[in-house]
Amino acid sequence: MVIVNAAGLTTRELNGRLKELAASGQEITVLNPHVGHNIAVGIFESCRIQITGSVGYYAASLLDGPEVAIDGNAGWALGENMMAGKITLTKDAGASVGSTMRGGELFVGGNAGARAGISMKGGTLIVGGNAGFLTGFMMQKGRIIVCGDVGEAVGDSMYEGAIYVGGEIGSLGTDAKTEEIGEDELLDILATLESHGIKQRYTFTKVVSAKKLYHFDSLERLEKTVI
Amino acid sequence: MVMGSSQLWPPWVMEDIHAKSELGRYRIRGFSTFQKVTHFDDLTFLSTGLTRFPLEGYKERCNTRTVIGARYAENPLVLDTPIYISGMSYGALSANAKTALGKGAAMVGSASCTGDGGQLPSEREAADKLIYQVLPSRYGFNPHHLDQAQAIEIVVGQGAKPGTGGLLMGVKVLDDIADMRDLPQGIDQRSPARHPDWLGPDDLAVKIEQLREATDWRIPVHVKLGACRVGDDVKLAAKAGADAIVIDSMVAGTGASAEVLIEHSGIPTVPAIVMAREALRELGLYGKVTLIASGGIRNGADAAKALALGADAVAIGTAGLIALNCNKEITESDFESEVGVPAGFCHHCHTGKCPVGIATQNPELTKRLDPDEAAERVANFLNSMTMEMALLTRSLGKSDVHSLEPEDLAALTIEASAMARVPLVGTNKVY
Ligand SMILES: Cc1cc2nc3c(=O)[nH]c(=O)nc-3n(C[C@H](O)[C@H](O)[C@H](O)COP(=O)(O)O)c2cc1C
Ligand code: SF4
Repeated sequence: MVIVNAAGLTTRELNGRLKELAASGQEITVLNPHVGHNIAVGIFESCRIQITGSVGYYAASLLDGPEVAIDGNAGWALGENMMAGKITLTKDAGASVGSTMRGGELFVGGNAGARAGISMKGGTLIVGGNAGFLTGFMMQKGRIIVCGDVGEAVGDSMYEGAIYVGGEIGSLGTDAKTEEIGEDELLDILATLESHGIKQRYTFTKVVSAKKLYHFDSLERLEKTVI
Repeated sequence: MVMGSSQLWPPWVMEDIHAKSELGRYRIRGFSTFQKVTHFDDLTFLSTGLTRFPLEGYKERCNTRTVIGARYAENPLVLDTPIYISGMSYGALSANAKTALGKGAAMVGSASCTGDGGQLPSEREAADKLIYQVLPSRYGFNPHHLDQAQAIEIVVGQGAKPGTGGLLMGVKVLDDIADMRDLPQGIDQRSPARHPDWLGPDDLAVKIEQLREATDWRIPVHVKLGACRVGDDVKLAAKAGADAIVIDSMVAGTGASAEVLIEHSGIPTVPAIVMAREALRELGLYGKVTLIASGGIRNGADAAKALALGADAVAIGTAGLIALNCNKEITESDFESEVGVPAGFCHHCHTGKCPVGIATQNPELTKRLDPDEAAERVANFLNSMTMEMALLTRSLGKSDVHSLEPEDLAALTIEASAMARVPLVGTNKVY
């Protein structure tokens, strides 16, 4: 295991060091991140990175492969557009956690801000606490599991994928509806939660797209068909 | 009998009301505004006479090499011409069209740009230099593609539809287009208008840094703006750390947009360039942040005038498509029966019925565009434009297209004088 002390390093120096170590397959611990933005961005190797302390915007974003564990809070867009790998955060995440993520698993131990999982395209986002308004806004694919409450307009304009809410729903967003949850689905969710040490048996409400906005309800003659 | 026809209610205004009273929603179309606005034709070059002498039009060296984004990027985008192909999505365009644009640009040392739908592998292969767009939708966004790019373009807005997201009708959201975008097959796609992970200019600064960190500060980051509140937007983008700013004006083309936005939002290219130039000047960043203009650039004269007004480079969309064969009757096409209008009047990109295989995903239609032949035409056209620019530049006694300046221009109308801030012909007055 290699320890990288982020204190006194520029973001560029820190990320340069992380990419270098990740390429050599080392297990990395970052100390003193001091809520810096853009920590551990664009790493494509399968490696382990432990960050001790809170991070700013875009922590562990644009990743493909690493397992990143953050002990602290995170600013906006934690794990943005991750392709694969795993991110765990012990405390709270700011807005847009897991935005546009395409794969992998992102776990927030505390609460998440607004727009959690916005435009998500795959993978699983888990929030141990509550999530803010517009959770799963324009979500396309994947799963969002929120153990606590969600704010207003959950699943607004979502296309596909599913949002599971263990607590109260502030309100459903435009074109979102609730749906019966399947048994296998529930078992899978509970197993996922258990892997993060959550044993409580929540009663989840499943939110999906009502699919009423898939099409303009009227088309001009020329828009109707392909010849 | 009284003769005349109404200026207020011409047949197309009435047709529009008839159509909307059937549809019950706004109308959608491709192409660009039908309005006449002040444009480059309202400006003329003041070539040499006795106050200065020309360079030999066909022989003497005239530099067209263009460096984009040298502010922070280690490897700025270096092009042999100040003209490149703007971002048009694979989805709006066929794979053959995208590939031809990438290849044609590469043949003349220029660049092409991805679009709202991710990177098409064959365009990446064909293009020597590819600009990778970061759009609000992030359809198909892949950090590996970002890593392969020669420049990044964060799209805040498009001139044809500022303040709104992309649009792709269900007839085009098929097969790999839907797969690449992670969308259900056949939906009428309305892309987000806001970025998912940042909102204001302070966040944008962090986003720009993130993209730089992901690409190790190698390549430039452009910010593309629909031309509206140009002065403030340019200042904010420059302050957020952009290497280059693309100003896309109200006359810019689109594959599909609500007609009300095409016609009623944004400002024309000429004043947009001038406002952007002045904004950068106020910040002391003119010449440091590259200024790229797009919207209605049709020939070398338009491009040269854009440079004279203050742009460092121009991007073309529609003109590139026309070079591919847009609006040209070819052996296999029959515009009247296929889109209901003769070639020359088509703006039906959104219907997926493009008779020349450009703005369609129908395999029968895409066959009508041979990507290799089309690439030749794009290369020839870019070459012609570059030569036209060089010819005008030499006629002004200059040996570098980047030496063109407002002083080289006069305005043919009072409006153009006011917008371009150059004197009206026959007067010394800037209106
Ligand atoms: C068919 C088509 C598709 C387009 N798709 C995109 C896009 O995906 N992203 C984008 O930023 N702009 C898009 N644009 C706008 C162009 O990038 C560019 O701003 C515009 O075409 C410039 O104006 P011009 O067509 O008059 O040259 C598209 C334009 C056209 C014609
Ligand atoms: S010919 Fe094709 S590309 Fe040109 S306007 Fe018509 S549909 Fe669009």
